[in-house]
Amino acid sequence: MITANSYMHEMVRSELSWALGDDHVQTGDSDKLGHSIDYYWVPEVWHDRGRTLPAPDFVVYPGSAAEVSEVIKIANTHGIPVIPWGGGSGSQGGALPVYGGIVMDMKRMNRLLAIDPVSMTATAEAGINTQHLEWAVEKVGYSTMHFPASIACATLGGFIANRGTGVLSTKYGKIEDMVMTLEVVTPTGEIINTLPVPRHASGPDLAQLFLGSEGTLGVVTKATIKIHPVPESRRFHAFLFRNMHDAMGAGAKIMTTRLRPCVIRLYDEPETARLIKRVLGIDRCGAYLVFGFDGPAASVDLEMGQACAICRQAEPEDLGPDMGQAWWDHRYKFFYPPYMFHLPQAFGTLDTVATFANIEKVYWAMKNVVGEKFPQAAFIGHFSHWYEWGCMLYARFIIEDPPRDPHEAVALYNRIWDTAIRAAIREGGVINEHHGVGLKLGRMMKDLYGPAFRVLEDIKGALDPNNIMNPGKMGFRAKGS
Amino acid sequence: MHIDNHGDVIAACRFCFMCRHLDPVGNVTFREADTPRGRALILDRVRMAQERLANPDFIDTMYRSALSGANRQHCVSHYDETGLVLAARRDIVAAGLAPEPVKALAHELVRATFAIEGRGSSLYFGDHPRLYPECATLSGGDPGVALEALGFAGEAAEVLGRLRGVIAASGSGTLVVGEPSSYVFLKKRLGGIAVVHCSEYLLSTAPEAGPARRAVYLESDFLRNYADGMDAPRRLLRRHGYELAPFGTNAEESHAVGEGAVVFDALQPELCKRLCRRIRELADNPAADLFITPSRHAKAALRKYHPEMRVVSLEEAVTQERSHK
Ligand SMILES: Cc1cc2nc3c(=O)[nH]c(=O)nc-3n(C[C@H](O)[C@H](O)[C@H](O)COP(=O)(O)OP(=O)(O)OC[C@H]3O[C@@H](n4cnc5c(N)ncnc54)[C@H](O)[C@@H]3O)c2cc1C
Ligand code: SF4
Repeated sequence: MITANSYMHEMVRSELSWALGDDHVQTGDSDKLGHSIDYYWVPEVWHDRGRTLPAPDFVVYPGSAAEVSEVIKIANTHGIPVIPWGGGSGSQGGALPVYGGIVMDMKRMNRLLAIDPVSMTATAEAGINTQHLEWAVEKVGYSTMHFPASIACATLGGFIANRGTGVLSTKYGKIEDMVMTLEVVTPTGEIINTLPVPRHASGPDLAQLFLGSEGTLGVVTKATIKIHPVPESRRFHAFLFRNMHDAMGAGAKIMTTRLRPCVIRLYDEPETARLIKRVLGIDRCGAYLVFGFDGPAASVDLEMGQACAICRQAEPEDLGPDMGQAWWDHRYKFFYPPYMFHLPQAFGTLDTVATFANIEKVYWAMKNVVGEKFPQAAFIGHFSHWYEWGCMLYARFIIEDPPRDPHEAVALYNRIWDTAIRAAIREGGVINEHHGVGLKLGRMMKDLYGPAFRVLEDIKGALDPNNIMNPGKMGFRAKGS
Repeated sequence: MHIDNHGDVIAACRFCFMCRHLDPVGNVTFREADTPRGRALILDRVRMAQERLANPDFIDTMYRSALSGANRQHCVSHYDETGLVLAARRDIVAAGLAPEPVKALAHELVRATFAIEGRGSSLYFGDHPRLYPECATLSGGDPGVALEALGFAGEAAEVLGRLRGVIAASGSGTLVVGEPSSYVFLKKRLGGIAVVHCSEYLLSTAPEAGPARRAVYLESDFLRNYADGMDAPRRLLRRHGYELAPFGTNAEESHAVGEGAVVFDALQPELCKRLCRRIRELADNPAADLFITPSRHAKAALRKYHPEMRVVSLEEAVTQERSHK
């Protein structure tokens, strides 16, 4: 970290200002505070307890890939970390300036550059807010079909960096399925493009290397993504199953018979009792399953009929289309205060993904280990993103009254993560499904990948010889180590 | 401190990202500090240690807010983030920390005087008295809303008291107000007199006319957020033959270029210019379309920074309707 009263601070600031203009280099306390806390619980609790947080030395707002490149070259000269920042909505601490340095806020790069109505693609700068992108695309009659709960919080580049996902992923894919091509500024400042199409046999897929790289392998500056026609019909239906196992069986059957719902979501019994009751007012025991289909009305009707027939085999309570539609209408409500978990609670989203053969084992392994070792923690979960072969578990733990001392609180918090995620890995799960690794989970990357992690480390070392890009994240080397 | 009365807002907004896409200033500065979350984090720090209020950077951030109310409107629980920033400004003023330009502006505003001309059972307070031949005209400066927005609540009450005296002496039963900020402020504060917005009043005498001319309506922050999205201006314009096209890509953002902060252009001209540029960029047809806004502030700012855009006030649109046809 360059201390603010050191003359080196002014030396670097002068270079940054020359490259970007004074207006786009901020060093004030307001900006530093805003960029020292993302959506990760640890900086939140640190702030709440009045402790000092690691803060950036500079916050810069580049307006083009060329400016991004300039900043990166300056950072390489001085050996200063560069931490890309999108909306700061990441929950893994990925955008935190843990060693100070330059936070590169991408939001000024917010233009929708082109829409190709023939191929149905849109090209945008990576800092665009995804709600603004969706609105702009809708205005000309299409949709990105990327509807994460953080659509209004996050940037396109942030989703690409974290391999994020939206509520309609079951049909339209995660961000890595949506991307056609990327423009990236590498850690040494070169501006490169990945191939123009995502399906090819022209070597390994470079786009997939940068997808999920969390700002450690470069800065995504532009992306072309698929867009879609607005569907003629979109319908939902909900059932209340006796238990999660029966509901899981029905959901898996919908997917393995190769119906194509746009969404399936299954809430375990505790989350049905806790959240679904609160938001939708369903006050009965069981596991709430909702799904939807969209597209031409006739095919929606046909697939909806078949999916309902699959569910009815287990004799659940039929909550009908209205309780499905109500879920869709309120789908973001869960994320607003006071519905969302908040301090003083300690909470974390232990999201993982596994095959249908393993997913319930993963669920029970996590739930049991949290229940046994951390009786003060409640464990709830739902299954959000479904694939032909399995689904994603969005499990959460909540502690109502964590220790006041922030060191103790974070130590307890980390123990839960270590225990639960390692249990998931043992049963065939992974560290994370769509929030990324960041600062939070980096220490478990070696457990997950085994010797293969070396491949990732070598790639990082080759691309970023001075280790300036987001050091200390994703399990990669810390600054100066 | 006044911010202590908004502890619920600080607690809700400090870690919440859900409405950041609607902060007009955040959308042009791109700064985390210029979002409800950014401001709530700052005020949380101040709440923890009052001396931090003196940080000039924190003060500057509070006076950069456009107070649009769009965030509050969007919020599922309608946390009043605008109210929180107003409370912070009051604390800044009370601590004697108001920046010089803010103090100078307040000094000017506090001198407002009011007078009534003509006769009528109702009073009209606005820029177009000829539209209201049956009303007496109340003239004068800002009724206190701008002072309040700057954090000078005591001075705002003083000005309002003067205005109240003048109105009481007139014996009128209805006050018709042209400017949305004054309308919302007076409706809430005045008492003893019916306060109506000019569009409601004019609607009662407007002709029935079919849509004839395309115009784009730029919604007022005050009418949308504090008057339940009052529909009377739109109905009035339709009656006067305007076919209203939606603006931009969405109806959630503020399109009033700082109206919520009342004297935004006087205080933050560079930011106001940027807000105007964004409106120009979002417009489908900035050079060809006619833009109608109920807000005097929005009209003046857009005309100042984009003279090529044709922007008229609601009352002008009604007056000029014939010449547009
Ligand atoms: C209320 C809420 C709900 C959420 N719901 C969802 C959801 O439904 N689905 C989902 O996937 N996520 C969700 N998230 C998490 C979050 O929105 C995602 O992780 C998102 O991808 C973060 O994007 P961001 O722009 O905010 O990135 P940031 O948080 O700013 O950064 C995240 C990571 O990406 C890197 N980065 C950012 N921009 C770039 C760039 N241009 N180039 C290279 N690296 C970059 C950063 O360095 C960091 O490592 C939610 C978050 C919140 C607050
Ligand atoms: S106003 Fe509501 S949505 Fe906006 S930051 Fe505050 S709590 Fe979140």
